[in-house]
Amino acid sequence: MVDDERPVLELRGVTKHFPGVLANDHIDFDLRRGEVHALLGENGAGKSTLMNILYGLYHPDEGEIRIKGEPVRINSPKDAIARGIGMVHQHFMLIPVMTVAENIVLASEPTHAGVLLDYRAANRRVEHLAGTFNFAIDPQARVENIGVGQQQRVEILKALYRSADILILDEPTAVLTPQEAGELFEILGTLTREGLSVIFISHKLNEVLEIADRITVLRRGKKIGTVPHEGATEGGLARMMVGREVLLRVEKAAAAPGQPFLEVEDVHVLDDRGLEAVKGVTFDVRAGEIVGLAGVDGNGQSEVVEAVTGLRRTSAGRVRLGGHDVTGSSANRILDLGLGHIPEDRQRRGLVLNFSLAENLALHDFDKEPNSRFGWLFPRRIIHRARGLLKQFDVRGGGPQTLASALSGGNQQKVVLAREIARDPRVLIAAQPTRGLDVGAIEFVHQRLIEARDSGEAVLLVSLELEEILSLSDRILVIYEGRIVAEYPPDVTEEELGIAMTGGRGREAA
Amino acid sequence: MIARAERLNGRAVWTTLSSPRSIGILGIGLAIVGFWLALPPATLRTPPGPVALGILGAAAGIWAFARGERRIGGGAVVAGIVGVGLALALMQTQASNLEGTFVWSALIAATLRWATPLTFAALGGMFSERSGVVNIGLEGMMLMGAFFGAWGADKTGSWLGGVAIGLAGGAALAFIYAIFAIHLRADQIVGGTAVNFLALGITGYLYNDIYGNNGTPQNLPAVPDVHLGWLHSIPPHGLGNFLVNSFGSLNLMIWLSLALLPMSYFALFKTAIGLRVRSVGEHPRAADTVGISVYGTRYAAVTLSGALAALGGVFLSLGYVNAFTENMTAGRGFIALAALIFGGWRPFGAFAACLLFGFSSALAQRLPDLSASESAAWPVLFQALPYVLTLIAVAGIIGRSIPPAADGQPYQKQ
Amino acid sequence: MLTAVIAFFIGGLVILATTKKNPLSTYRAIFDGTGLNWFFHVGSHKIGIPFTDTRVWFPWDTASRSAMDLQQTLIIVTPLILTGIAVAFAFRCGLFNIGGNGQYTVGAIVGVQFGVWFAGLPGPVHVIIAMAAATLAGALWAGIAGLLKATVGAHEVITTIMLNWIALWVGSYLVGFNGPMQDPRALSAPVTRPVAQSARLDVFWGFPTLQGLHIGFFIALGALVVYWLVLNRTTLGYEVKAVGFNAEAARYGGISVPRNYFLAMAISGAFAGLAGSIDILGWEFNLDLTVVQSVQIGFIGIAVALLGRNNALGIFFAALLFGALLTGTSTRNLDPSVFKPELAGNLTQIIQGLVVLFVGVDLLVLYVWRALRRPFPRRRVES
Repeated sequence: MVDDERPVLELRGVTKHFPGVLANDHIDFDLRRGEVHALLGENGAGKSTLMNILYGLYHPDEGEIRIKGEPVRINSPKDAIARGIGMVHQHFMLIPVMTVAENIVLASEPTHAGVLLDYRAANRRVEHLAGTFNFAIDPQARVENIGVGQQQRVEILKALYRSADILILDEPTAVLTPQEAGELFEILGTLTREGLSVIFISHKLNEVLEIADRITVLRRGKKIGTVPHEGATEGGLARMMVGREVLLRVEKAAAAPGQPFLEVEDVHVLDDRGLEAVKGVTFDVRAGEIVGLAGVDGNGQSEVVEAVTGLRRTSAGRVRLGGHDVTGSSANRILDLGLGHIPEDRQRRGLVLNFSLAENLALHDFDKEPNSRFGWLFPRRIIHRARGLLKQFDVRGGGPQTLASALSGGNQQKVVLAREIARDPRVLIAAQPTRGLDVGAIEFVHQRLIEARDSGEAVLLVSLELEEILSLSDRILVIYEGRIVAEYPPDVTEEELGIAMTGGRGREAA
Repeated sequence: MIARAERLNGRAVWTTLSSPRSIGILGIGLAIVGFWLALPPATLRTPPGPVALGILGAAAGIWAFARGERRIGGGAVVAGIVGVGLALALMQTQASNLEGTFVWSALIAATLRWATPLTFAALGGMFSERSGVVNIGLEGMMLMGAFFGAWGADKTGSWLGGVAIGLAGGAALAFIYAIFAIHLRADQIVGGTAVNFLALGITGYLYNDIYGNNGTPQNLPAVPDVHLGWLHSIPPHGLGNFLVNSFGSLNLMIWLSLALLPMSYFALFKTAIGLRVRSVGEHPRAADTVGISVYGTRYAAVTLSGALAALGGVFLSLGYVNAFTENMTAGRGFIALAALIFGGWRPFGAFAACLLFGFSSALAQRLPDLSASESAAWPVLFQALPYVLTLIAVAGIIGRSIPPAADGQPYQKQ
Repeated sequence: MLTAVIAFFIGGLVILATTKKNPLSTYRAIFDGTGLNWFFHVGSHKIGIPFTDTRVWFPWDTASRSAMDLQQTLIIVTPLILTGIAVAFAFRCGLFNIGGNGQYTVGAIVGVQFGVWFAGLPGPVHVIIAMAAATLAGALWAGIAGLLKATVGAHEVITTIMLNWIALWVGSYLVGFNGPMQDPRALSAPVTRPVAQSARLDVFWGFPTLQGLHIGFFIALGALVVYWLVLNRTTLGYEVKAVGFNAEAARYGGISVPRNYFLAMAISGAFAGLAGSIDILGWEFNLDLTVVQSVQIGFIGIAVALLGRNNALGIFFAALLFGALLTGTSTRNLDPSVFKPELAGNLTQIIQGLVVLFVGVDLLVLYVWRALRRPFPRRRVES
């Protein structure tokens, strides 16, 4: 199925500078017809930059792109589409309020007399296309009402509708369960058999080994090497990726759970649209243990966290924090009672980017002594305290008066961690604490969470990364469609978890 | 545009009808009917009827409120109380005054007249906001249309020239705004406010410079009215009379605004270009990645919105007042904006809201006639009615209205 | 700041050039009317220290024509500082208060009424009562918009504009012919009764009979200090800024966003309401229908706040600039043979519009300029 002529795509010496950063440093890359070529690297290694150059979203400072041997300039996505390149972005480029068909035909719509949209033809073409590749999809469904896996297929269909023969997939499995990922791999198999070539961007070793014919590894903007699928090992790839030996498992002592600090009892929560997102959830988290909450994005985990932290009203049920009933209490009171919360999205929810680090570190202690008294603020004390915390949490790239926006993602997360852990809470909730961080920062965060556990805090870890859940948790809960559907000890396999996460519970194997 | 019509069997229909929401709406309806009974032609002069209906409406409201329909239920309670109050107040006035005030055909004509500038501006705002650019500057663009329309008509000696030049004036200002909002990524609220100030200054400056203290000429060529005398012959006699008084001599631009409604609807929801405009307003990056020019689309939409808003201004100066005065738009751009939001960023929804605001303005002009004495001061208060109504509308409904997802967010190419 | 000033001069020049009037002499004439040239005529004079009999040496002639012009400018600067703060404070909370006009009107109405009532009180008490009432009224009026924003999310731009018009018409009713506040002794004019002598602010510079500068100017300066202190030295200011920069993060930190929306709007309105009462008690003494119907000071406050970058010192200088512009283009101070004052008034409006338009982007201009000169360190890059 791989026919070796000249490559369908070649990149030669592609270089891209951003102010202060060399994102791509003379990168060579080639893609053969009918192969899956994986681009492997950590967050920040330059994978997405390279692909955005290929798709015409960025312009390279140096280097050459050849398609089927012919040098080309790609100035815009339009050019890329015309050259047969299609891209499935990590954050889907779909319009939620429009239908599947509308999303797919956008910008090359079938029309009556060149003006009026021909909806019927659009639906028919989408159905036909989906049939060709064996996708089950309803062209008239609204994108916001279909699942993530389906949305990804819509993205693939968008590329196929534009007759792409080179398909770029940017971290396509990040939002999928292991089972859905398996289905995606089957689809990719079909596509390559039809003669398409696929560039598969990932930072996950196991799936790269599973799907790719060849693997190119990037590190800090440089190409480290290209290896064929045969003979590649996880350990070898990890070393290429990170540049040193990596601990694939986190070292930790056995847990010694104490009394329950967080008790959630039959909690129901409505989402923004007024639908019941959490349908009666009961669990507890004990002192000195990490409980992992696993699940596919959008199954109610955000609502659970918001309900527990007082950011969203519960429609029924009880929440107890260290013995106090905090159902319906304000976020402020709950935080005061000893809750630390590392929110999902540090830039949007965790930090005020236009505040200094000191101000950010005081985000919920500013109205308490010694930071203030009778409503009067003492900035010097806030700065003094911040200086100590920044040192303690090894925050680099700025002092107490630096704006939070000036720090890198890893250091921003350290600031959030410092604020939440330094308060010495009884319960620490960490939602997606390592999203978008590089390996060093991930290790740091994990270490701190385990330290928090060992000092007797009750830690609730919410993550979409199964690996993270498995390596940190002492107990694992699986949430599916607003219900806790299973509880596992930490030695459960990814497959078992994956099945529970799709509501299967052993009913259907992948 | 997914058809929400689900096939309902009898049982489902009953469930829908007996839902708190329907009951609440029914309550509002009852309250309105109760109030209406006190008006011509029924002109009930005794309390029982209206009071009973008002209480019934309020009761339905309380029932709905208790079952979670807080907004609609609360609305019905308020409607019931206000309806009864107003009905009782009306019974205190002279029946002859009442009939002089509530001449329905004249009220309809006046409502359309007041609604037209709002409709133009709201349609303009719709194109801009559907493409993702908030247009607070509608007011200024209307004002430009009003002045340049009058000036153009004066200079060219024809109302057509006035319309064209007024339209160009509004579009030009909108284009300037577009540069700031799109390429320079200025804050759109601040930029729109600036545009309003600019328009106020430019039109005031030129007006004083060109016309000084004399005002615009008396013989300004006006946009003609459309006379539909044949409506009179529609049987029965009362109806024909009513129709001719309501619609028989409306200004050409009123009909133009009505024609623009379905046209806008089709353009936005039934054409390829409309789909692209909406995609830019919902998710500009998605549009960009399939090769749609986000900036180009937004420039076109904002400029068009200025042109449409300007038509609203032209109507004010050439179709209605037949003169230009400083700041003659008097906040209408903002009311249009509220109507747009109120109508869920859709042409007919916005038009319905414009009619509501237009009606309140029409009523505000006529209500002073209710007063017996010439010298009473309170009729002035009715001038505030449209603004109060807008405020209530914004407070009551708008929180529920979902704007285009990228509305107000500048787009940055990667 | 520089960009905005340049922009407004360019804007002014363009307009002047299109109407074929010499821009430089026009600007000169406007400047001469502002009284700011007073500072250039240094001599040796004596002045009395206010409220004492002592006379001391002073470099400027306090009784010259330009001194009187300067007093006029500062009289206008006073409410402009306050309405500027009204806009700026809301801005710091992420809200755009374009309802300064209405809040000012409400403050003026309440101020005049309280100034008319309680005529027997001792001066300072009466003044404080009237100002407090007006401040509260302004706060309540803006608080409506704040409450609607906090509870149902109604956009403050629309609600404050509507409240402006409502204030205008309610004010017209109260003050207008046969209205409840119209002066019964002057039925031919739509104007309220004048406030009692005890409610009038002392004049500390110039002649009280010739509209000298009243002590309200110091109240405005004090308000600037209060504004700075509240924002930078109180937990309230911290909360307001946190909400303004990132409401979501503030909420996650346990700060109540709706409460801050309401408070920020109410405090904003308080400053604007205070401005209304100071104008009444300082030099207008009664409220006129035409004044009610032509209030623009809240709008100019927007330009003041934006040009002043929402910081206290900036607001002071921006208010000085616009106050000067207004005085310099007034019918009284601008020589009609050079430039028609009515035109100049509109010119002020255009300049104000241009300033607001340009201020929004000049941060960006600065940014681009800086980025071109040296690579900006530590910008994060998507992987």
